[in-house]
Amino acid sequence: MHKAVIIGGSAGSFRVITRILHALPKNFPLPVLLNLHRLKHVRSGFVEALSIKSNIPVIEPYDKESIKAGTAYLAPSNYHMYIELNKKIALSTEEAVNHSRPSIDLSFETAAHTYQRNLLGIILSGANKDGARGLKKIKDSGGTAIVQDPKECEVATMTEAALKMTQVDHVFSTQQIIDYLLKIK
Amino acid sequence: MGLSDTEIQSFISTIKNHSEYDFSEYSEKSLKRRIQKVIDDNRIDMPMLIKRLQNDRQFLEKTVRDITVNTTELFRDPKVWQDLRFRVLPRLKKNKTINIWHAGCSTGQEVYSLLILLNEMGLFDKAKVLATDINEDALEEAKKGVYKYRFNIGYLDNFDKVIKENPFNYEEYNDVPYSRYFRINKSDDSLLINDFLKKKPIFRKHDLVRGENFYFAKFDLILCRNVIIYFKYELQSKVFKMLHEHLYTHGYLLFGMHESMLGDIANRFDKKGHFYRKKY
Repeated sequence: MHKAVIIGGSAGSFRVITRILHALPKNFPLPVLLNLHRLKHVRSGFVEALSIKSNIPVIEPYDKESIKAGTAYLAPSNYHMYIELNKKIALSTEEAVNHSRPSIDLSFETAAHTYQRNLLGIILSGANKDGARGLKKIKDSGGTAIVQDPKECEVATMTEAALKMTQVDHVFSTQQIIDYLLKIK
Repeated sequence: MGLSDTEIQSFISTIKNHSEYDFSEYSEKSLKRRIQKVIDDNRIDMPMLIKRLQNDRQFLEKTVRDITVNTTELFRDPKVWQDLRFRVLPRLKKNKTINIWHAGCSTGQEVYSLLILLNEMGLFDKAKVLATDINEDALEEAKKGVYKYRFNIGYLDNFDKVIKENPFNYEEYNDVPYSRYFRINKSDDSLLINDFLKKKPIFRKHDLVRGENFYFAKFDLILCRNVIIYFKYELQSKVFKMLHEHLYTHGYLLFGMHESMLGDIANRFDKKGHFYRKKY
């Protein structure tokens, strides 16, 4: 039983995530946690751009905000986003991990600890290796791991790194990821 | 793999029993990560860590410093600094003195950002600035005012946005030289804050969790940026009350971009943009 979805992406993931958000219905039964790298100087406007086509609200959460179903939480720029045991968001300005803040690994690892086998983790297109360790943690905690098909990715480094480290459940195209999410009750 | 919740609890209680520090109300995931880092860096396991904390006060102090380390940047979030410049500080202009407390100043980049802004606004001399942090290593860094240049390149853009430009008047451009405030030495990758800025603030060790009082009783402006994110909700509430007590009526409180005041205490403030103004 999935209780939360967490998605990590970097270069080339913006269009994919836009398509996914566009496909999800207003009453999508799970929270969607998003950790997407962005260029250092493109700090604002990102959440607005994602919101345009999304049927569910996309927000950059405040610290200690409660996580609710049917809402997408985008890790704010320049913060790490942790998922606490009481299903609240906790932000941090600790140093960057692998040059990334937000770090996908940290969000994935803390979400895995909180949701255990009820977490669905998805890694999308990207130009670095962030997320690979986090996806492994999700698998090790009994959760489900999906990786976007590297053949479809604009930049395949991130998905390939994830596949190298973890025996994932599915390698999916964007459309297959959407189909999978829409089947979640 | 990873530390268990029981191990975290025994770490917290060991520290509590052997010092005045209390981490029991810190946000759990970042605390866990920092403890793991201490263990990795020292190449020990949790039982050994606990033993050393019990027997070696200096090691305990160092561990506390390693856990409370935090990063900060020059003019982080320019929008906030523009608000400070055009909406908040002008209202304090008529004060005889402007009392400012930088609570949780870490390595001091924002303390200097504020002093630069005050200087540009002609308010430098009437400002009294207290800058505190729990972490003595960070305070030492702050006093030295020497930063990595390369790390701060991006933040020079922020300097320009806040100090040189006016978001309300695009024609305005103040060509303020960086050298007025710091020297950049590219060969050894350093950015050195000028002495007159370094002499200005009073740096003091202070633990927001314990909330001890200090001699400045009240402030016109308190900056507490990206500090309460490390605290759980209950501890946040305690800190909000304490900050409220240390503010003059109509005084301003500024948090980080994604921090907000929760609970009843928020009713005692007007929220103006990113700022909280004390009503009563």
